[in-house]
Amino acid sequence: MGVMRLGYVHTRVTDLDDARRHYGDTLGMKAVHTEADRVYFKAWDEFDHHSVVVEEGGVGLVKMGYKVATSDDLDLFERRAQQFGCLTERMSRGDNVGIGDGVRIVLPSEHVLELYNEAEYLGSEVGLVNPAPFPRHLVGVGVPRIDHCLVTAEDPDTLERFFSEVLDFRAAERVVEDLDGGGLLGSWMSCTTTPHDIAFIKGPNGKLHHFAYELSDWYAIKNAGAIFTMDDVPVDVGPTQHGITRGETVYFFDPAGNRNEVFSGGYAVFPDTPTKTWTVDQLGTGIFYIGRELSERFTSVLT
Amino acid sequence: MAAIRVLPDDVTVDSRPGETVLDALSRSGFGYRTGCTRGGCGICKVDLRQGSVSYTAATVSDQVLPPDERAAGTCLSCRAVPDGDLTIELRNERLRRLNPYLTARFESTTKKQVLRNERKRPWE
Repeated sequence: MGVMRLGYVHTRVTDLDDARRHYGDTLGMKAVHTEADRVYFKAWDEFDHHSVVVEEGGVGLVKMGYKVATSDDLDLFERRAQQFGCLTERMSRGDNVGIGDGVRIVLPSEHVLELYNEAEYLGSEVGLVNPAPFPRHLVGVGVPRIDHCLVTAEDPDTLERFFSEVLDFRAAERVVEDLDGGGLLGSWMSCTTTPHDIAFIKGPNGKLHHFAYELSDWYAIKNAGAIFTMDDVPVDVGPTQHGITRGETVYFFDPAGNRNEVFSGGYAVFPDTPTKTWTVDQLGTGIFYIGRELSERFTSVLT
Repeated sequence: MAAIRVLPDDVTVDSRPGETVLDALSRSGFGYRTGCTRGGCGICKVDLRQGSVSYTAATVSDQVLPPDERAAGTCLSCRAVPDGDLTIELRNERLRRLNPYLTARFESTTKKQVLRNERKRPWE
């Protein structure tokens, strides 16, 4: 059965109250659990306990959680990760509030990835019987769910091999130095039918480039951009369209400087969908199809 | 109100009480290399040549601005609030005028500032 999707992102923030305003009031996530130094948020169309954790102290990524289908998957992926040469450890129910037993893996890129197959069920905000298409009490952007993470890695080749060989992800799109066996600079990998559930580009190990929320369409992306201005949220790039994934996007920063994205569209991928390749001279077009230019900020700001 | 003198361009702008160095320069129509503008990435670091700043507007992570760097005069400009008149120096870049329509206001401010600075010469 395998990895089903990105389940949660746990980041550090410099100020918990600022983060609460950003993730709660601007993005419209619901705070489902609060501790002295952290807040757990859930988006309205998600069913499990939480999808974003913000922890006070510093900036950047603490860990990412991916949900797998069965406990057998945990055993399989643990064994494969160990064979790959990764440090792993078992985590117990309650190590993460609302999350069951799991396996913690230190990736070749030094990021921490947690796999789990059970989470406390809170349900979406529209229910399962004759559900409304959206809840009418949403505030701010009203994000429905988280979508993917993009991190940086010194050795994208090894990280791509890890996600492919250990977790059965497939590369939807890749960026290479040249078409004649040139080095890998980035990979957009899928375990669902969307073109990326994890992506990484060459850069320092252990860093977060961004994590993203899925919105319904281009119109929602545009409106989100306007809300960011109303709430004094710094926008990095957008609204625009990606070449890679074809998704529509706005990149913006949370109050600690972690980059977030709202993302819509993209195309469907299946196990037999061939991998697309971009050459590094066209990276600007790949990342921002409209505009075709990478900004210095986009490539250098990491937390 | 504090005067922020920016090198190497030798441009001076006023800052309002509680306003960060970046906000004061933006409000006066100037741009330079910035990142998240929320204290997370360190892209907007400049060198403090004269005067002092406080980080009272928001918490700054030691991860981004380590104490030794801070002591050595690095100023995280998106979070730094001037304590009084100060001089900063950009790192390998020049100020860009993003809003040319603010020129008149800027020049008059500068003229006033230059006169004031000539009297006080805070950077000497």
